[in-house]
Amino acid sequence: MSEAVVTRRSDRRESESFSTRVLRETLARYGARFGLAWIAVVALAAVFAPFLANSHPIAMKVDGAWQSPLLTHLTWIDLALLAAFAAAVGAWLLRRRLSGPRRLAMVALVTVVAAGTSYLTLSPPMAVIFDQYRSGLADGSIESAIFAPVPFSPTDRSRDNPLSLTPPDALHLMGTDEDGADVLSRMIHACRIALGIGFVATGIALAIGILYGGIMGFFTGWVEILMMRFLEIFESIPQLFLLLTVVAFFGRNIYLIMAVIGLTSWPGYARYLRAEFLKLRRQDFVQAAEACGLPIWSILFRHMLPNGVAPLLVGASFGIASAILAEAVLSFLGLGVVDEPSWGGMLNQAVGPGGTFAVWLATYPGLAIFLTVFAYNLIGEALRDAIDPHLQRQPS
Amino acid sequence: MVNYVIRRLLLMVPTLLGITVLVFSVMAMAPGGIGANLLTRGGDMRPEERQAMMEYLNRRYGLDQPMTTQYLRWLNNVLPIGYETQADGSRGAFGVKVPDLGMSFVKNRPVIDLVAEALPVTLLLNALTVPLVFAGSILMGVYTARYRGQALDVGIGTANLALWSVPTIWMGVLLIGFFASEQYLKWFPTTGLESLRADTWTFLPLHTEAGWQRGFLLDVLWHMVLPIACLTYSSFAFLTKLTRSAVLENLLADYARTARAKGASDQVVLWRHVFRNSLLPLITVAASILPGFLVGSVIVETIFSIDGMGRLVVEAVQMRDREVVLSITLISGLLTLVSYLLVDICYALADPRVSYE
Repeated sequence: MSEAVVTRRSDRRESESFSTRVLRETLARYGARFGLAWIAVVALAAVFAPFLANSHPIAMKVDGAWQSPLLTHLTWIDLALLAAFAAAVGAWLLRRRLSGPRRLAMVALVTVVAAGTSYLTLSPPMAVIFDQYRSGLADGSIESAIFAPVPFSPTDRSRDNPLSLTPPDALHLMGTDEDGADVLSRMIHACRIALGIGFVATGIALAIGILYGGIMGFFTGWVEILMMRFLEIFESIPQLFLLLTVVAFFGRNIYLIMAVIGLTSWPGYARYLRAEFLKLRRQDFVQAAEACGLPIWSILFRHMLPNGVAPLLVGASFGIASAILAEAVLSFLGLGVVDEPSWGGMLNQAVGPGGTFAVWLATYPGLAIFLTVFAYNLIGEALRDAIDPHLQRQPS
Repeated sequence: MVNYVIRRLLLMVPTLLGITVLVFSVMAMAPGGIGANLLTRGGDMRPEERQAMMEYLNRRYGLDQPMTTQYLRWLNNVLPIGYETQADGSRGAFGVKVPDLGMSFVKNRPVIDLVAEALPVTLLLNALTVPLVFAGSILMGVYTARYRGQALDVGIGTANLALWSVPTIWMGVLLIGFFASEQYLKWFPTTGLESLRADTWTFLPLHTEAGWQRGFLLDVLWHMVLPIACLTYSSFAFLTKLTRSAVLENLLADYARTARAKGASDQVVLWRHVFRNSLLPLITVAASILPGFLVGSVIVETIFSIDGMGRLVVEAVQMRDREVVLSITLISGLLTLVSYLLVDICYALADPRVSYE
């Protein structure tokens, strides 16, 4: 009986694909588990941010009738994120019915459709007076209201009663910032920027890096020399300098920041893929594909890329960490997003001009940046060990 | 070797050209671009003065001309060989001339002066940081590799992993908050590199009847404790990890066993045989770490209000000061490329098998 079980398990191990093995070995490491758990927490906070921290009541009773200001104030981004989350959960439930690429396509399709329709149809009120709920409850025009767990919006700056830089208390669990906004609420909403910047910037960098590196590794001679020169130019500019220049000259826009971080961090991937392709080029299966007369894009991206892509994932994991860090530094220097909450921007307020020090503004945002960067680094290290235990330790 | 160095130096020219073209076009493509009307911040000027200033800037730098012309003019100015530019902006004789980095539009001072003030500060910070990081991490890496598996090694390893992931901005805020603010320990100053009247003091500490005076040297060192701690810790942690694994790999290699077998003492095996081989990965990594200090000083100089290159660039970028941004890009690009070259030369020195001929 036990013998049969043993053989079956070893059978499965032998027949499992490369990706399944890498996934299994990555998840076997505690570091990767911790990293994934923290990123799951951040992702959940990002998706459900409006339901976790919002000044708009979930439901309130006015003139005997119930209404929900929270739902009417949802933006298209809120709905797109919720749809993406629902689609991801659905894809996981259907994992035995659908293949991997189909599940991915399903999530992407649902997200795009939800984002598009809600962008076109939703028009939340532009002018928002957060104080109306507090004064309404006080004077009795709102009979009763149910609030989110953190009853403050990230931009609810309570200008009427100056509460700036109050230490944590029962009302504001993590204190307030310079403008009197609730730090916990801003922390929750800032998860969106942290997650978004990591994925979008690294996605752009990976796409450019793969295309550029693939071409560089396949064609030799003048093309390669010219492309290598161009790559060195990008490598020689400190990323932060270029980022600062672009942001200062084009304006502070979160999408622009994502794009620029992506556009400045591709050389590493391109260099890596070039080296990998130079090795693969000499192998028989590539020669065979060439002899068959396949078009170049097919040889490059359908035959060679899948064989060289695994180590790129390790780089991408470290890349997400450094993209998050880059955005935090930018916000810290006062050149990040305006008005929107960002961990780096909050950290900037911890040390006041007069030498005052707000511990809560240093601890919580700093810890969040640290844990997120640490989580991606841990996942990257686990992935690297799982893919190739003998891989040289590269600086990230 | 000389041939190789000359070839590398020549290859720097197109790269530097590319860097400046890239940064220039980013600024040129920005909405509004760089025009004299944007740059003249003449709040206290009379309209005619302002107009005259704008006309002067347009004439001198060709700010009303097409972008390609502007770039070529700038390039001509910074090159040691080219046309001389007269005060009215017209073209002078061709020949060898003094490179001109231009004027800061905002501060109304020559860029070369601004750089001459800022660069020594940043170089001083880095000149102390780099040897500290390398010496410290090599010693600690060798030490932990030698006593591998013991409690101290495990402790240092874990601490390094955590230190490596702590963002510099957080560390800076925590250091300044706990060690320099009024509420907690006020051991160190929060801003600058010297006390207010430090330039009137003697260089070395002085003891007079009036009391004890710490002198210029100690004062600067006292101001630099926190910034340098902030600059060093992350590369220190990373390099210690790297040294440890390199030394460990070599200690377990066959040639180390052979050396021990022929009777060499542990000290000789470690420092004469293993150590030199373990240096190679460190040198490789130095190529990516040296330019990192430049960026790191942007953050550290902002946190501790030190007037170095990092602060100069942040200010220039915020004010859209074209000449300053371009000059600093050029200088930092040059420093980066030179540090890459130095690393490659060190590589050949450390490993006799590496040859660039």
